[in-house]
Order: sequence, then structure tokens, then C-alpha cells
Amino acid sequence: MVHFSRRLALKGALVCALASTFFHTAVAADADTVLRVSAIPDEAPTELQRKFAPLGKYLEKEVGMKVSFVPVSDYAAVVEALASDKLDLAWLGGFTYVQANIRSQGTAIPLVQREEDARFTSKFITADANIKTLADTRGKVFAFGSPSSTSGHLMPRYFLMEEGINADSDFKNVAFSGAHDATVAFVASGKADAGVLNASVWAKLVEQKKVDEKVRVIATTPPYFDYNWTVRGDLDPLLIKKIEAAFLKLDAGNPEHAEILALQRATKFIPTKKENYVGIEQAAKAAGLLK
Amino acid sequence: MKLSRDPAAPGRAAALLLAIVILWPLGVVGEFRPWALFEAHHLRVMGGFLAAFLPPASSGEFLAYLGRATLETLAIATAGMALAFVLAVPLAMATTQALSVSRIGPGSGRRRAEWSRALLRMLLVVLRGLPELVWALLFVRVFGLGPAAGVLALGLTYGGMLAKVYAEILESGDRRPARALLEAGSSRLQALCYGLLPGAAQELTSYTVYRWECAVRASVVMGFVGAGGLGQLMDQSMRMLNGGEAATILLTFLLLVLAADALSGLLRRQLGEASGHTGALTFGARTLLWLLLLGSALAASYAWLDLEFAALLTGAALASMADYFGAFFPLDLSPRWLAKVAWGSLETVAISALGTLLAAAAGLLLALPASGRYGQACAQLTRFLLNALRSVPELVWATLMALAAGLGPFAGILALALHTSGVLGRLFAEALQNAPPRPRDALLEAGAPAAAAFLYGTLPEVSPQLIAYSLYRWEMNIRMAAILGFVGAGGLGQLLYVELSLFHYAQASTVIAAMLLLSVAVDAGSAWLRRWLASPGG
Repeated sequence: MVHFSRRLALKGALVCALASTFFHTAVAADADTVLRVSAIPDEAPTELQRKFAPLGKYLEKEVGMKVSFVPVSDYAAVVEALASDKLDLAWLGGFTYVQANIRSQGTAIPLVQREEDARFTSKFITADANIKTLADTRGKVFAFGSPSSTSGHLMPRYFLMEEGINADSDFKNVAFSGAHDATVAFVASGKADAGVLNASVWAKLVEQKKVDEKVRVIATTPPYFDYNWTVRGDLDPLLIKKIEAAFLKLDAGNPEHAEILALQRATKFIPTKKENYVGIEQAAKAAGLLK
Repeated sequence: MKLSRDPAAPGRAAALLLAIVILWPLGVVGEFRPWALFEAHHLRVMGGFLAAFLPPASSGEFLAYLGRATLETLAIATAGMALAFVLAVPLAMATTQALSVSRIGPGSGRRRAEWSRALLRMLLVVLRGLPELVWALLFVRVFGLGPAAGVLALGLTYGGMLAKVYAEILESGDRRPARALLEAGSSRLQALCYGLLPGAAQELTSYTVYRWECAVRASVVMGFVGAGGLGQLMDQSMRMLNGGEAATILLTFLLLVLAADALSGLLRRQLGEASGHTGALTFGARTLLWLLLLGSALAASYAWLDLEFAALLTGAALASMADYFGAFFPLDLSPRWLAKVAWGSLETVAISALGTLLAAAAGLLLALPASGRYGQACAQLTRFLLNALRSVPELVWATLMALAAGLGPFAGILALALHTSGVLGRLFAEALQNAPPRPRDALLEAGAPAAAAFLYGTLPEVSPQLIAYSLYRWEMNIRMAAILGFVGAGGLGQLLYVELSLFHYAQASTVIAAMLLLSVAVDAGSAWLRRWLASPGG
């Protein structure tokens, strides 16, 4: 009897274990009926969701497909997901686009960018009264955004290099805040003495009066190409055309479109091409971020 | 005056001198500057952040997020443990000497068996030598963000740990029944079930439950690398320096850890009672009930997490996984990179050693009131403090300390010290309570002051145990110190995080190899130290 119940119990345990393993063999969402979209998390995830909601609805209507936004908290994961066909459309920075292009063997297609992205800049900020020029940041704690960020890391690092400041050895400590708005929080609180973020987010935070008055800009980078919307290369060409057309159709004169454009901080979207990002790739190689 | 006649004084002075000689350079590497805490600049930063703690965030939307994240954390821990168990059982069976057929006598496959056992043991070292957070960071890239990466990471690390401890537990019991069964020609599974399990079942279950409790704490921080749960919320709140949200999340940590503690304690007591009865009762209706509960908890966890493990096992997924891990080889061994990794490793060692040492000192100070020397009220209060200290994970302490002491390794030292002093304080208090009272009483009766009675009557009795606990925590802390850099607190972590972000896999794998080497070296070093201390000469 003892043996019997023991055997029964063991079998029961085994069945439970197997059942739980196969409990959820849910089929992955059908890639043909849902457009899977994501964005590099250059701002707080809640802010990204807020920004995307009306655009998602608009795309759903224009493309005739369900659009699902996959929120993430890691830049590199977006690149990896796009390159391994887990995403169809992604909002990438210049550097993450270059990475995605390399990791997808050159198949990723940059579709459109904001008019502003063709001449994008980064702002160096500080809350320390003693820091007046970039040279004064030597020996201080300096905050970049994410390591994979174009405007929060790569281009500022390249610009610093041209100004004779080596980010690896000339700062006391380098912090990666992870996102542009977090960089402002780092600098405002004094967690970092100085930092750098993209000009667009800086302008937004200043408009929304979310910046502590101590924080001020000490330098601005020369312009470069940044963000774009990229699709994976093996997406249906017809669908790609539809997505591109939907973006290009956005018109600030139309009140419904105006809301979407305002949230994206764009005056309008313009077509973009691979060649626009050659400069970024060269900067990344020069700064040692691309091998 | 009396102390000057202490016969042990020269030896102790020499040990102290040696400790200072060793610790001084570590202090320099770890940027050990306690006064940084009191610099006006840092006080203002921390003060501003702490002031925002009140009131804790309590909006409905945030609490809904928090509730979901808490459930996700629990589910990750449970599902991860299940996976670990499934991995650990065959691995333990294959590696334990208690079930070794080749040990019984030289047979045909003896050489092969020994080799495969050695290989499997090495696999276990790799599995548990890397912190679960590093595994999570790697898996997040392959499986996408979300709980699947956390579950797999927990499953692998804990699988490695469970397998090792299971094997040891099986070896420490009476091995003769299993051996007799094996010699009589039974299979290893039969020998395990009928020869070893009856004696070891309670200890095995108890350890598994304890590990689940650890898994809850581990899954709390998985979110820091994007693998779901409470950590993701905490990471965001800390990045934006939102004090109110951080306060609510910290309170949730405290509640969660205390609840997991209580549940695990209850389960283990139940086990103890069950084993009081003998024979048929141990495996009756009650066990079935527990198994049923366990099964449904597991099913609920997997359902809640919406894991698509089946999708991971398709040919394409496996090929992309192989590609991904293939990119990690060969390692980057260029002198420039090695120098950078070596410096990071040194910093990691310094953080772990100094953090543990500070924790041992603080733990001892806190253990005195916690052991009830100064009355019951004082004991309760200190115990609560100890619980609070250890319920906040090291990584979260590190984000807080980066505010209080600035970014860099010193923040890491403080973070390890704070968490570990909570752990060690509790263990030390138990050791003090269990110390034989007679030497101390004898000294007191002979007229020695209380402090001297403690130093010469109690401390020598418990010090081997205290040192053993501290060394054991040091082994765990070296793994922790390796990842504190994820939040800017020095060591190898930041290197790994940045290189992985930039897809520099060859460089990242050098860092990972360094982490493995460190953890293996510290394990060996601490084992050697313990043996040396236990030997009569030590």
C-alpha cells in the first residue's frame, strides 16, 4: 500500500510537471495579421507609450492591420529583435539603425525620418556653476544616455574626441543614465556633474518646465543624421509602401495629424535612405563603438 | 593593564597588521572614502531624493502596475525554480558519487564515467558561477525582453546550484542502502528512490524551499536588465529619481521578502513535523495535497507569464541561438582589453572583500542587541532593522548608494555592506544565542567586566562559526560585486553592460570569463581559508 501510494504520488508529480510545461504552447502571434512595432527606449517607457498611441491607431487605419506596440527597456534588444524578425517596424536612432543594418546583413530598410532628424544635435548640460566650457568637465562625473544612443552617447563622444577630450580617461567617472530624460534627472540632482542629451528631448523638457533652473546648456554638437523608422527587409513590399505612404501623408494642417506630429515632435516626415547614415557609421568606427 | 597580559596579544596584533597590509591597497582600488558620504554635495543629492519618499506613490494606476509586477516576480521565481528542479535532478544523479557505479569497482566504462562526471561538474561550475543577472542579460537578447529571459536565467543558475547541493546532500547521508541496491543490479533511478531518498528527502525538500525564497529575492532584480517583474519598475523609478515611487516599491520588497520568509519557514516546519511520524504517513494524502498545491502554483505561474517555450525549441530559434552564442568566440585577448578587464576584476575583488568585511563588523554590532543582550524590545527592533536591510537587494542598495556616495566602486562597497550586514546580523545573532554560556559566566563571576567576558568568554566560542558565515557570504558577494556596475557602482558590470549594448561580443565574453574565473577563485580561496582556520594551527 505504501509503495502504491508513493508510486501514485510520483506519477502525479510527473504529470503535473509535464502538464505545466505544455500548458502554454500558445502559438506565436500570427505575423501576417499583426504589425509588430517597437521603439528604442530613449525616454521613460510610459512616455513612449503615450507618444505612440495615436500614431498606432493611425497606422492601423492606413495599413489595414492590427498594430501592436511592444514596449522594451533596452536599446540593443530592439536591434536584435528587428534583425531576428521578431519586429516588423521600429523607431531607431542613427547608431541603432547602423547596428541593425549590420546585424541583418544589410537587409533592414530605413523608410522615413522627421524633417528634424536630418540636422539633429545634442546638448551638453550641467548644474555646476564652476563648469563653463566643455574643457571644465575634465575630472568630473559625466552622464551619457544609453551606450547605444546616437545623440546621447555616440555623437557627443565623437564630438568630445574632436575637442580633445577622451571620454574613457578624462572623466572621473562615466555614468550611463539609460535615457535622455534620466540624464537630466542625473544632472539636476548632482548624481552627475555634467551630461549630454538630444536637443529634441531637451527642448520638450524645457517647454514642459520639467527642467530644474540650475541646469543649463554649455555646448551643442554640430548637426548629424539621427532617428528613422526602419522596417525589416523581408516584409511584404506592398506593406512597406503602405507604411511609408502613411507617414509621408501626415500633414500638420490636418488637426488629427497635427496631434500625432506634435507627439512625435516632427513638423513632417520625409523619406530617408541608407547613405544618410554613412557618417554615423564612420563616427562610430572612429569613436571605437563599432568594430 | 589586565589586557596587556593577554597571551594571544602578539598573534592578534600580527594578524591585524597583516589584514591592514592586505586591505589598504584594496581600499585604494575600491575608492574607499567614507567621508564622501558627508560631502555637502552628496548630502544634498540624497536629502533631496529621500525628501521625495514622502508621501509614497499611491495612485491607482501605479498600484495596479505594482500589483502586476509583484505577481510577475513571484511567478518568475516559481517557474524558474521548477525549471531549475527539472535540470538539477538528472544532473545531481549523474554527478553524485553516492550513485556512482564506477566507484564500486573497476568496470568496463570506468574511465568514461569519470570523464563524463568531471565534464558535468564543470558544466555545473559554469552554470552557477555566473550571476543570474548576467544570464538574464544574455537571454534578454535572444528571447526578447520579458519574463522568459528571467525564468531561464533563474532556471540555469539555480539548476546548477541545486544540482551541486543535491549531490552533496546525497553524498553526506548513509550511502550503504544505495550501494547495496546498485550492487544487486538495480538501476540508478531505483537506487535513488529506494536507497537514498528515504534518508535525504527532508533535507532535500527543505533546501529546495529555501532556494525558492532566494529565487524570489533574485527575481526582484531581474527587471534591471529588462527581464520583467518589480525590478523593471524600480529601475525606471530610480533612473528618473522618483522618490515616491521608489518608496512604495521598497515597501513592497520588504513585504514580499518577509512573506516569502514566513511561507518558507512554515513549509519547513511542516516538513519537520511530517518526518516526526514514520512510515506510511509520510507519503499519504497530505503529501498529495501539497503536490497538488505545488502543481497548481506552477501551472498558474506559467499561465501568468505567458511563456512561449515551445516557440524557443523550433529549428530556426535554435539556429539563431547557436549563432548568438557562437559570436562570443573567440574571446578578445588583446593586451589592452585584458588590462581593462583585469582592472575591473581587481575593483570587483576590492568591492566584495571590503563590503563583506564592513558587513561582518556591522553585523556583529547589530547581532549583540538582536541576540537579546539588551532586552526584548531592543532585540525586536534590531531584528526588524536587519530584516529591512536584507530585504532590499544589493542592486537596489547600489542605486541608492550611488546617490549618497557618488557613482563608483565605493557605492558598491556600501551596497554590499548594507545588504550583507542584514544577512550576517541575523546569522550572528543566532550563533550568539546558541553559544555555550559557561565560559562567559565563569569570567563574570570571577569579576571580569561584561565587555571582557564577551571578548574572552563568548567570542572565542562563536568566532569560527562567524568567520565561516562571513567567508560564505564573501563567495556570494563576489558574484554580486561583478554585476553592481550595471547601475554604475564599479567593478566588471559596467564593462559587460556597455560591451553587450554595443554588440562587442568578443569583448563581452572576456568579461564573462573573468567573472567565472573570479567566482571559481574565490570559492577555492574561501574553502582554503576555512580549512586553514579550522586546522589547529590556524
